[in-house]
Amino acid sequence: MIPDEFRLTESGRETLFNLLSKGVLGCLLLYALFPIYWMILSSFRTRAEITAAEPSILPFTLDEAADVIRDPSVLLTLLEYENYLTMWDRFPVFDYFVNSLVIASVTTVFALAVGCLGGYAFSRYRFPGKIGVGGALLGTQMIPGILILLPMFLLFVWIQETLAIPLIDTYHGIIFVYTTFTVPVAIWMLRGFFDSIPNAIEEAARVDGCSRFQALVRVVLPMAAPGIAATGMFVFLTAFNEVLFASVLARGDVTPFAIGIQSFETQTTAYWGEMMAASTVATAPILILFILFQKPIVEGLTEGSVKQ
Amino acid sequence: MTRTSSRVRSSVAEIEIGRYLPLYNRLSDEQQYAYKLLLPGLLMMLLIHFIPIVWGVLISVLGVDSGYVSQWYEAPFVWLENYRFVLDPRTVVGERFWYSLRQTIIFSVGTLLLTYVLGLTAALLLNQRFKGRFAARTLLLLPWVAPSVVTLLIWRMMFQQQSGIINSLLLSLGVISEPIYWLIGDNTIWTLVLVHSWTQFPLVMIMLYAGLQSIPEQLYEAASIDGAGRWEQFRYITFPQLKPVSAVVVLLMMLWTMINFTSPYILLGAQPPQSGQVSILYIYNFAFSNYQFGRGAAMSVVLFAIAMAMAMLYYKYLFDQDFTEGDR
Repeated sequence: MIPDEFRLTESGRETLFNLLSKGVLGCLLLYALFPIYWMILSSFRTRAEITAAEPSILPFTLDEAADVIRDPSVLLTLLEYENYLTMWDRFPVFDYFVNSLVIASVTTVFALAVGCLGGYAFSRYRFPGKIGVGGALLGTQMIPGILILLPMFLLFVWIQETLAIPLIDTYHGIIFVYTTFTVPVAIWMLRGFFDSIPNAIEEAARVDGCSRFQALVRVVLPMAAPGIAATGMFVFLTAFNEVLFASVLARGDVTPFAIGIQSFETQTTAYWGEMMAASTVATAPILILFILFQKPIVEGLTEGSVKQ
Repeated sequence: MTRTSSRVRSSVAEIEIGRYLPLYNRLSDEQQYAYKLLLPGLLMMLLIHFIPIVWGVLISVLGVDSGYVSQWYEAPFVWLENYRFVLDPRTVVGERFWYSLRQTIIFSVGTLLLTYVLGLTAALLLNQRFKGRFAARTLLLLPWVAPSVVTLLIWRMMFQQQSGIINSLLLSLGVISEPIYWLIGDNTIWTLVLVHSWTQFPLVMIMLYAGLQSIPEQLYEAASIDGAGRWEQFRYITFPQLKPVSAVVVLLMMLWTMINFTSPYILLGAQPPQSGQVSILYIYNFAFSNYQFGRGAAMSVVLFAIAMAMAMLYYKYLFDQDFTEGDR
């Protein structure tokens, strides 16, 4: 232990501790946010600025600093908007965005439809095999994707060749796969949200003459809307981010953003500026949506794992 | 349940499962209804999860290679030859597969340790009362919310040997004298751990934060009456009380990292160095570069078995804790 004469007074210790924790929090925030800041900054830079030996970590160089401090609007003139214009011509970014949007949104709709039914069954009913089914749902999250991908690839090739139903490089093929992958998580998250809605609500609806299914659709689902939105966002993000299956089953005309963005870096050249511009365009709406709707999302994600 | 209400049932309730599954008729009306609601989800899982897994195991004992991609069913039955081949350290493939398993373990244990330290630190800081706490929590969650394909590419750009900001910062601070190769060579696995931890620590943080919030305030009050300082309170109250959540975090992080494909695939680019080829990436490259699906499937089964062994621990834990409590 520390000798007494070096010990701080009670309030001194308190202040020191507060300073220290503020400092650590500051470092963590810096660590968490710097890459995102760097993405946005790089998207406004020319190739020469990005590949410079000593890039400025601020949007301006030291020489320009005085001007910026005098008049912050100068900053806007220092940014380069090139990348946001050239990326559309240089790469089929627009197609990537459309493909990702189609795949991820349709997946979200299907997964939510199936997930609401399953999650509701889990929340409200007792049935034999519940623990088994619940375990199987969680178990799907522990399967290495590659174990499913190899047989599925063979299966898709086989169906395509014998039944003449195209599945590889089609929207419906990849959407079906994604829906199935996200349904277990959707059921699990939604079950938590349904749990927080009192049973009495449906009982009242039943007394008023609703069937069980009507009570679910007309009364429970509207009440669970924030939870459904949170689950939907999670499903959307999962589908948007997926690369293992997409890299094999969604090429060509349906290439999603997650796969397409990698083509900005070729064997010889890396178009970092354009890549970061496209990334900023993809990330901004997601971050904004999250900041707006974070409460149910955060609750839904911690629900399953931290239930006491 | 009156007969009249069954007339207004919607189409979901009209499926006659009992005709195909006699056991189903022995369930009560409520139980049947629960299964009807679950039916679409269960069917999809059967089709895309369970059938392919069984199929994958089947393929792993067949000699499926490039000649049999569209006629996998004509491939010869080879018993456990595929397993012997991929697990034999004397073959190049076997040696590399063992190496990839080793890298996988470094990847998952390294990520677990780093995310746990970062996540716990962040959760403890957020658990104090201060102005802007909610904003800080939101900002700290962003690395996990931002699409990982994007953030991994940002890190890839920052870790470039020539033009990357990280080498340039380290050089100007005098930490290193030569630019480091972060994305090629033997140390790539550590870069992977660093980056993957950045994407995952917010999840650990939020789980531990929820755990911290559920610790009863009285415990701390009683402890401070007894004269326990900050460290003692952490050591004897916070940490032990977090144990159930920590156990979940430990298992989930290890497991999810072990089967993570996105991080190594995106971060390491088109030509991943050997050091960064964790098992799932190695199997992927191996199987699709020369269509050796039989051997690829055998390796996948081995990886799956390791993951399952860990999942068992997780389930055992969940069942012991609170899983059955959710039954209502």
